[in-house]
Amino acid sequence: MTDPRFRLGFDIGGTFTDFVLLDRTTGETFLNKCLTTPDDPSRAVLEGLSPLFEKAGAGGSDVEIAIHATTLITNAMIERKGAKTALLTTEGFRDVLEMGTEVRYDIYDLFLEKPPLLVPRSLRFEVAERLDKDGRIITPLDEAAVRALAAELKANGVEALAIAFLHSFRNPAHEERAAAILAELLPDLSISTSGAVAPEIREYERMSTTAANAYVQPITRAYLDRIEERLAEIDYRRRLYLMISSGGIAGAQTAKAFPIRMLESGPTAGVLAAIFYGRQMGIDSMVTFDMGGTTAKIAVVKNYEPAKSNLFEVGRVARFKKGSGLPVKIPMVELIEIGAGGGSIAHVDQLGLLKVGPESSGAMPGPASYGRGGDRPTVTDANLVLGYLDPAYFLGGAMPLDLEAASMALEARLGRPLDLTAEQAAAGLFEVVNQNMLAAMKVHIAERGEDPRKFYLFAFGGAGPAHAYELARALQMRGVIVPAGAGATSAMGLVTAAVSFDYARSFVTRLDRVEWPALQAVFDGMASEGLAVLEEAGIPEDTLGVRVEHRMDLRHKGQGHEVTVTIPKAAFEAGSLDALAQLFYAAHEEKYGHAHRNLAVELITCRTTVLAPPPAVSLEALSQDGAVSGESARKGTRRAYFPELGTYAQTPVYDRYRLRPGMNLDGPAIIEERECTVVAGPSAKVRIDPYGSLFLDITAPAAADKELVDAERD
Amino acid sequence: MWEKYTFDNIVMRPDCLILGFTRSNDTIGRLFKKTAVAAHITDKVMSLAHDAVSLWIQWSRLISIMDEVDVALVRTSFSTIVGETRDFAVVLLDAEARSIAQSQLSSPAFTCSLPSATRRVLEEFPREALRPGDVLLTNDPWICHGHLPDFYVIVPLFGPTGLIGFVATAAHISDIGGRLDEIEARDVYEEGLRIPPSLLYEAGRPNRQLFDILRANIRYPDMVLGDVDAIIGASRLGEARLQEFLGDYGGDAFAAASEEILRRSEVAMRNAIRAIPDGTYRGSTDADGYEGDTHLEVRIDVAGEEVRLDYTGSARQRAGASINSVLNVTHAHSLYALKCSLLPDLPNNEGLFRPISTTAEEGSIVNARFPAPVKARSKTSYHLHNAIYQALAPALPRAVQAGSGSFWSLKCFGEEADGSRFAVHVLPNGGRGAVRGMDGSATVAFPGNGTITPVEVIENLSPLLVLERSLRQDSGGAGEYRGGLGQTIRITARERPVMVSVRPDKMLHAAPGLDGGSPGAKGELTLDGAPMALRPTRLEPGKELALRLPGGGGIGDPRRRDPDALAHDVAEGRVSAAAAAAYGVHADEVA
Repeated sequence: MTDPRFRLGFDIGGTFTDFVLLDRTTGETFLNKCLTTPDDPSRAVLEGLSPLFEKAGAGGSDVEIAIHATTLITNAMIERKGAKTALLTTEGFRDVLEMGTEVRYDIYDLFLEKPPLLVPRSLRFEVAERLDKDGRIITPLDEAAVRALAAELKANGVEALAIAFLHSFRNPAHEERAAAILAELLPDLSISTSGAVAPEIREYERMSTTAANAYVQPITRAYLDRIEERLAEIDYRRRLYLMISSGGIAGAQTAKAFPIRMLESGPTAGVLAAIFYGRQMGIDSMVTFDMGGTTAKIAVVKNYEPAKSNLFEVGRVARFKKGSGLPVKIPMVELIEIGAGGGSIAHVDQLGLLKVGPESSGAMPGPASYGRGGDRPTVTDANLVLGYLDPAYFLGGAMPLDLEAASMALEARLGRPLDLTAEQAAAGLFEVVNQNMLAAMKVHIAERGEDPRKFYLFAFGGAGPAHAYELARALQMRGVIVPAGAGATSAMGLVTAAVSFDYARSFVTRLDRVEWPALQAVFDGMASEGLAVLEEAGIPEDTLGVRVEHRMDLRHKGQGHEVTVTIPKAAFEAGSLDALAQLFYAAHEEKYGHAHRNLAVELITCRTTVLAPPPAVSLEALSQDGAVSGESARKGTRRAYFPELGTYAQTPVYDRYRLRPGMNLDGPAIIEERECTVVAGPSAKVRIDPYGSLFLDITAPAAADKELVDAERD
Repeated sequence: MWEKYTFDNIVMRPDCLILGFTRSNDTIGRLFKKTAVAAHITDKVMSLAHDAVSLWIQWSRLISIMDEVDVALVRTSFSTIVGETRDFAVVLLDAEARSIAQSQLSSPAFTCSLPSATRRVLEEFPREALRPGDVLLTNDPWICHGHLPDFYVIVPLFGPTGLIGFVATAAHISDIGGRLDEIEARDVYEEGLRIPPSLLYEAGRPNRQLFDILRANIRYPDMVLGDVDAIIGASRLGEARLQEFLGDYGGDAFAAASEEILRRSEVAMRNAIRAIPDGTYRGSTDADGYEGDTHLEVRIDVAGEEVRLDYTGSARQRAGASINSVLNVTHAHSLYALKCSLLPDLPNNEGLFRPISTTAEEGSIVNARFPAPVKARSKTSYHLHNAIYQALAPALPRAVQAGSGSFWSLKCFGEEADGSRFAVHVLPNGGRGAVRGMDGSATVAFPGNGTITPVEVIENLSPLLVLERSLRQDSGGAGEYRGGLGQTIRITARERPVMVSVRPDKMLHAAPGLDGGSPGAKGELTLDGAPMALRPTRLEPGKELALRLPGGGGIGDPRRRDPDALAHDVAEGRVSAAAAAAYGVHADEVA
């Protein structure tokens, strides 16, 4: 048997499961994409892997590492399909979970909706116990009451329990004791404690995060067990790794303990992939746009770094409005996700308006054109009617599409009520879904104070390359970049990511009143937990390139918020608290222009990241054959609709696999590969870079309003 | 929140003069309904100086600049009242001191008086004389926002060609001297230090005397001056960002965008007002006041594209109780209630307010004359929307809200064991009033907006121990849509006594219901079980302070409430089986 040389990534999305198999010795990649199997997602894993292994001439035992991303956790949260969850809190505080921050996320909206709760009031229990701010016991835990609770949890059919006591981030003993008692009485109960899940000050956010973790834990466990079994069936017997929200990967055991840390794992992998390609191409900043079957994801990358945050909101009830989702305090790569994908369903609402999404036809029944029983028109159906997709070349021809079924669905569900032809309805649907995505992109870019006109739009996902040109044009961006294998790019982010995990622990104290060894113990505790995660992932502590980074959230005494200060290795080893205070003053001054050196410095939270070295992976460069014209790659012509023309145009169609670096094409053009189709509108000039990425440079200024008028006249 | 404001979506109304604010889906949907206005719209688009995309980009960037200023202020502030409860606003003004953009969570009432106060201050310090590094300050209640703790800090911004605009900040600081009392002052002189329009910094140099006067008169100078530094630092960030904006779009870009924003916003408000049938609408409400009720009356005249609010008939101003509202504050709360009803989606700026005017008799409680005591003016101004919504309910039944439980103010201060002083200011909220189609939310701010300080933060700042924070059963007014629940907070001191000063509301007059809905439950304030006096009180260790905040009013006849919704309320303990009787249902039917 030869040494295993393949890295396998697979990303289960709402509609499609994407695969990439990377030969680390040659840089050669093999892709596949198949429909997700919602009843048992692991089935699609096997179905998708066998042709991939065949292509690569490999089997499960040739895979050195398998890395997985999944939309399961995000979906369970958004669709509220998690376990029946209860909450146990300190006596007097069970309603904190519902009362939240009391702030209104929109100050002018009288009809402000709050996100539905994960734990109803009737399943929120209290127990006598109390710690003070330093974690000292004021009231001991009423263990008898905890025992008595077991019967009630059982009677209510509770599957998961979140335990969140006040000040537990300073002393988790009561939470742990309560968890131990209940675990013994109810061995099937899945228990999350706030001191383990999110040990940071501010009880509401910690409680909310713990409740979310408990809510998704039972389904995550069952799901990952099943995936591991399936992989074993095909002879992959090494560890399964998962992409986590902060952009690292961790072992399956870690993911089962902290499933909430896997929120948005697929989209995160996509952002990492974009950065990986960016490094190859020397493009350090971009907007990433990943449109799959169910959702579209948008992120901003600057200097090869994704924006990151320590607080995420799940399931915003008011689209794009900060504060309208459930807060989850975990380290995240920042991105926004909207219900706009190839499978998004269009309908006419009560006001007679054409709406698209967020409901998706998913993999089953799928768009009308899949011919699997769906009769409601979707984005994919519109793209087919508009000529963007070739019915005979969807997934490289593996899954023929039914143009007539698409037309009929558009005609019946949209055309008749709106008095439009199927083609007009398709054009309308295309516009509406693009507008939905544009609106979201604008918020996301504007919130970062960026100007979209400075960036390329890096487009991938099964539907992304078909919509990217229109979005980039409307925002007057520089153009669009479509990497090779754009239909399965997220999976590429999996095989190029490194093992890492982040920890945080609040420890509120004045720096001048604490002894360094007490703090060092907090950091050492997190570091050893992190090294255990690496160990679990098969990376021993002494592996070359393993790093431990420490940071502190510090503020002036009395100040309301903190600045995160990275502690250089030397400063950590020296352990001088005064030196750390000086680092804080400097950081505050740098960030905000002023510092109060006469005021004491207060520590709020300690943070530690443990990282393994990234895998040494690079792409295979394509050969250049000297041709500058793309004629040799042309495979035909078809009618396609372009909003800026207001009509259909005869559009040349190219085979992406025959395009070579150095070739140039003029828009309009359609470029097909197996997993996706790239649409370049009339204002695009297309060029191909050495790695096969397509650059759609947009030359003419966009006439933002004209397009609507033209569409109207159509 | 931006999807609603995009300018490249077009309101499909042939009579509409502006590019619009509507959800993109609706717009395109209408477009494809062939509303046959394309040519009309094209003419309008082409006649504009700004194309839709660049105006959108510039406008949203100005707002994002202010959001960044907002975040910087929160992140660097010292007081819980700015850092946690968000009692502040940051507004970007053009060179004429007209408000153009504000951070999205700016406290709404301040944003009306910031531009007018800036213009008033510029009468003392003419624009031509301002220099880079100048910072202006005033807290005069009749210029600013009706009480001394609101500092207005105005930072002129300079570009290559001179003055380009201002960042104006209103922030409720932690102390301004004067009586510790919240309500019992005889005039504004007793309420603390009044600062006329002044230069706090002159060309970057601090005005030492003014700083010394502030330090000598304020109880927590480090905290207050720390907040002032935070405001100035955040404003400087705004200046840097605005300079980048001009670098990207040209020196005149801000002035040009400002004109467009104001003009289009005004037109949008005029269109919205046209949707209200012309006529005169009247409403009234009663508030707790202090040792005597406060009666408020409003007459709203809607004529074409303009609205006039007249508060004639409201109570006279009070001597000996700090519950008087100056006209600035009355006007701001009137505008706020109308904007929520008429144009909730539009970003705030001064153009919106041009078609709306407010009048009140001088010397009345809603147009108090100097030197009336005003510190607790929200005991009056926070009730104005109740009268306004009662008046407008017949004309706009689906755009009004029943009364809300409102916030209470809880201040705790004292000495730590080591002799250092602490001060914690917490603003908990009652339940929100119901609207047609939706129950009122539990414990959420209205008409103000702020966060509750977490228990763990309170306990890290002070020797207090919070014993309970929970929803108050039966506090939401019954209705087809129920009012939101208020909350119970119980607090004790550990080891050392703590001074507490509570300013409650709606203990005598509940948040009113609308359209047949019942009022919410009244508030209760007790110390060790007995009603507590409304003056600063020592909370001894082991004694218990209990705040029971009022619930919101219901809307619509309770007997029309969905039985499932009622049964759910009872099952969840929001409504007791006994209280279900208010819905015309016997207790055993829902048990």
